[in-house]
Amino acid sequence: MRERADVWQGTLALMVLKTLQALGPLHGYGIARRIEQTSGDLLAVNYGTLYPALLKLEQEGYISSEWGTSDNNRKAKYYKLTRAGRKQLEKGAREWEQTTEILARFLSPGKESA
Amino acid sequence: MRRLRALFIRLAGLFRKDRREHELAAEMETHLQMHMEDSLRAGMSADEARRQALIKLGGVEQTKENYRERRGLPVLENLLQDVRYGVRMLRASPGFTAVAILTLALGIGANAAIFSVVNAILLRPLPYPEPERLVRVWESAPTKGAFRNVVNPLNFLDWRDHSRSFESMAAILDLMTNLSANGEPVAVQGLQVSPQFFSILRVPPLLGRTFTSEDGVAGHHQVVILSYELWQRQFGANPQIIGRKMDVDAVPFTVIGVMPRRFSFPKTHSEVWTPLPLARTEDWKSGRYLTVVARLKPGVTLEQAREDMLSVANLAAEARPDFNKGWSAEVMPMLEDATEGVRRPLWVLLAAVGFLLLIACANLANLLLMRGTGRLREMAVRSALGAARSRIIQQLFVESLLLSLTGTAAGLLFAQLGLRSLLALIPQNAPLPRSETIVIDERVLLFTFLASLFTALIFGFVPALRLSRVDLQSALKQGSLRGGVGGHQTLRRCFVVAEVALALLLSVGAGLMLRSFSRLISVDPGFSPEHVLTMHIWTSPARYHDNLKRSQYFDRILSEIRSAPGVRAAGSTHFLPLTEKISGSCFSPADQPAPTPAESPSAQFLIISSDYFRAMGTPILKGRDFDVRDNFNSQPVAIVNHAFAERYFPGQDIFAKQLRVCWTIEKPVDIVGVAADARQAQLQQVPTPTIFLSNSQAPMYFATLVVRATGNPRQIARSAEGAVHRVDPDQAISDIQTMETVFSDSVSSPRFQAILLFVFAGLAVALAMIGVYGIVSYSVSQRTNEIGIRVAMGARSSDIVRLVLREALALSGIALGLGLAGSLALSRVLQTLLFEVTPTDPVTFASVCCLVLVVSALAAVWPARRAVRVDPLVALRYE
Repeated sequence: MRERADVWQGTLALMVLKTLQALGPLHGYGIARRIEQTSGDLLAVNYGTLYPALLKLEQEGYISSEWGTSDNNRKAKYYKLTRAGRKQLEKGAREWEQTTEILARFLSPGKESA
Repeated sequence: MRRLRALFIRLAGLFRKDRREHELAAEMETHLQMHMEDSLRAGMSADEARRQALIKLGGVEQTKENYRERRGLPVLENLLQDVRYGVRMLRASPGFTAVAILTLALGIGANAAIFSVVNAILLRPLPYPEPERLVRVWESAPTKGAFRNVVNPLNFLDWRDHSRSFESMAAILDLMTNLSANGEPVAVQGLQVSPQFFSILRVPPLLGRTFTSEDGVAGHHQVVILSYELWQRQFGANPQIIGRKMDVDAVPFTVIGVMPRRFSFPKTHSEVWTPLPLARTEDWKSGRYLTVVARLKPGVTLEQAREDMLSVANLAAEARPDFNKGWSAEVMPMLEDATEGVRRPLWVLLAAVGFLLLIACANLANLLLMRGTGRLREMAVRSALGAARSRIIQQLFVESLLLSLTGTAAGLLFAQLGLRSLLALIPQNAPLPRSETIVIDERVLLFTFLASLFTALIFGFVPALRLSRVDLQSALKQGSLRGGVGGHQTLRRCFVVAEVALALLLSVGAGLMLRSFSRLISVDPGFSPEHVLTMHIWTSPARYHDNLKRSQYFDRILSEIRSAPGVRAAGSTHFLPLTEKISGSCFSPADQPAPTPAESPSAQFLIISSDYFRAMGTPILKGRDFDVRDNFNSQPVAIVNHAFAERYFPGQDIFAKQLRVCWTIEKPVDIVGVAADARQAQLQQVPTPTIFLSNSQAPMYFATLVVRATGNPRQIARSAEGAVHRVDPDQAISDIQTMETVFSDSVSSPRFQAILLFVFAGLAVALAMIGVYGIVSYSVSQRTNEIGIRVAMGARSSDIVRLVLREALALSGIALGLGLAGSLALSRVLQTLLFEVTPTDPVTFASVCCLVLVVSALAAVWPARRAVRVDPLVALRYE
């Protein structure tokens, strides 16, 4: 069995924002599936943890929600990115890139000495 | 920003829960359905699909719970829950709740009331802009025992002109003033002030203007400023008052201003202000009688001002050594000056109520612990169900907080009532300084609120900590509940010991004050206040400027009064005893070369009429009283008191002596009588050497008439007034009161302290008694078993009683030791408040110890009776 890392809050939020940017308005189940697929099942989203995260993002005004109808005619709550959310996504992505870059440099000292 | 937004939304999440719950359920259901559809499509069975969906979600209820925690504010929700629960618990045991709230209300109410007084008198700044820069300047002569003496006019002028620390400096002279504007003459308190007076206090007038430097200079218009209250009362708040003429002491004055409502100078209630025409002339050369107020320049410290004044006073002493040798100057912050003499008593009272509150806290902590033992099972169940210890502490603490806040609300009501009766203890004529403004204001409310939080912390926290530390195993086991509380018992004993010790401390304080007060009122004042009526008159300097005319005027008034029905004797004095007014001056034996005024001995001077001693009931020990022979043109004479004769002419023929007096009389005076000693300034002060001069020979502008009636002195008030008005219908009369009232008012301050301390100590003892009762009674119920065995083994009732009493007395014994040690350490602060009682007065200490032991024993009597009635059969079957 492959080891699956737990998804922690901040990263999850960033993934949610990115998903909504890529796919447009989407319901909770869709977001969960998408994150799972994109991460190549590396991250096992315990779907339940998604909902408080969505609520938090909504409370902070990065996403908004409204009830709509799904493809197979099911009533579902759709989340979509707000303008603030878009900005937050840019900012978050930038920060994340920086962090990984620094970590990468830090973890491969061989290059530095060259 | 984002966080704040989220916070608000979460706050909103506390409401409209039903709809939100509904939506959450729907969203969860959709999620599961979608997941299941996917799985079904992949060929899974329906049941398996649902199972997988639930696993993947992590449980519907768990998800919902996590979601809810994010939706609202769990901390707040828990709190609300605790509050609701707490209210329910408190209502479930109304007896406990009532006792707890009442205890707290008493403790907090007493604190709020006393703090209102402390706040109004000691803490609130003086009602002038930048009050911290206001100071009073006094003359001082430590070697003569004069630390804050009123000021000589020429010295004042020197100070004003040569000091560099002050923006300006003003002199004040208070005088009773006769006003007549339309008919009825009225006597009002007036102040003659330097023109700078108002600008120093920085209070602008309500109408018109205040004084300028031209006002009061000879040749200018005479001008007067009225108080708001006088303007309302006498002039119907007429807005056209400015520019009107009115007679002040029979001289026409022009009204130039009205001061705003409640404007006054500390400790005076003046209603008119006139300019004080000071000049460097002979008129102002001698005597010390001015009050001086000044405003420090910005940035100048009190120390700098004091140094400055020392050097300026030195200049004055060098310029007029005869008069000023040994005299210097002292600067005091005005607030400190105005509250002199009441600071210590008020702090003592505040400390006393603080102790009372601590006792109340200890009592409550015990009540909570006792109740808590009954709730151990509840705590155990809660923690078994997964409640964290912090959660249980929070819940218990919320209950305490509820109690304390309710108690505070009730306490504020008590404080309001208490303040009213407290203010009733302060007599009208001898008010506490600044007591007019004693109210429960926002500062008092804040203090009370903090006090209640503090009490909740003290009485709630220890029990909460203790009770939350439950031993699950033993607590849940039926029947072994009692075992789990052994530790609490020790804690509760400590609380009771602390309570009793504090109660003892308060009782010692109260006992000392009461003893001191009873000593004070049993002092022989040297006169008999019964049947004596007093009234103050102030003659117009304009109409009675002539000394002879003035002396005859007083004589005529007195003889009119003497002929009125019901009058046994009538006389006058310029300062009534026990009104804290004294006048002193220098004298020297006429058979020795005259020393300078600064080097002469000084004595108290009183200007009295004939028959003053008879009216006051003070015997003349030797020689004679003043009589008709001693008129304005005859040989001047004096009477001295016993203390004077003993001090200056012991064993000599005093009637052969003559005295030079620094008063209006130039010729040496014969001594014609020696009167018994009487207390003058206040009852506490032993009689000082006194020289009495005759008002017929050295007439004053004012006098207090003392009239001894055959019956009730109040009944002759009208006829005495009529007698005065028969001589001069325009003569205003003020301060008509019996000598008994004067006497009682003069001890109002120690009475006030003694009564309050007595009440607080009474409450403290009552609370401590409840505490002892509680612990003993609890321990009897714990030992029912043991007592049953003892009875079965043949113990008699008296043995059982002894067993119970021993516990109460053991606790009290420890408390006694602690309390006595504390009292010995603390009672010293009462030293200056006590009269003829030492702070370690053995009688007080002994009686308070007895009281505490007796009260503890009494508190143990009920539980003891219950113990005696224990039926061994029942008790032993119990386990």
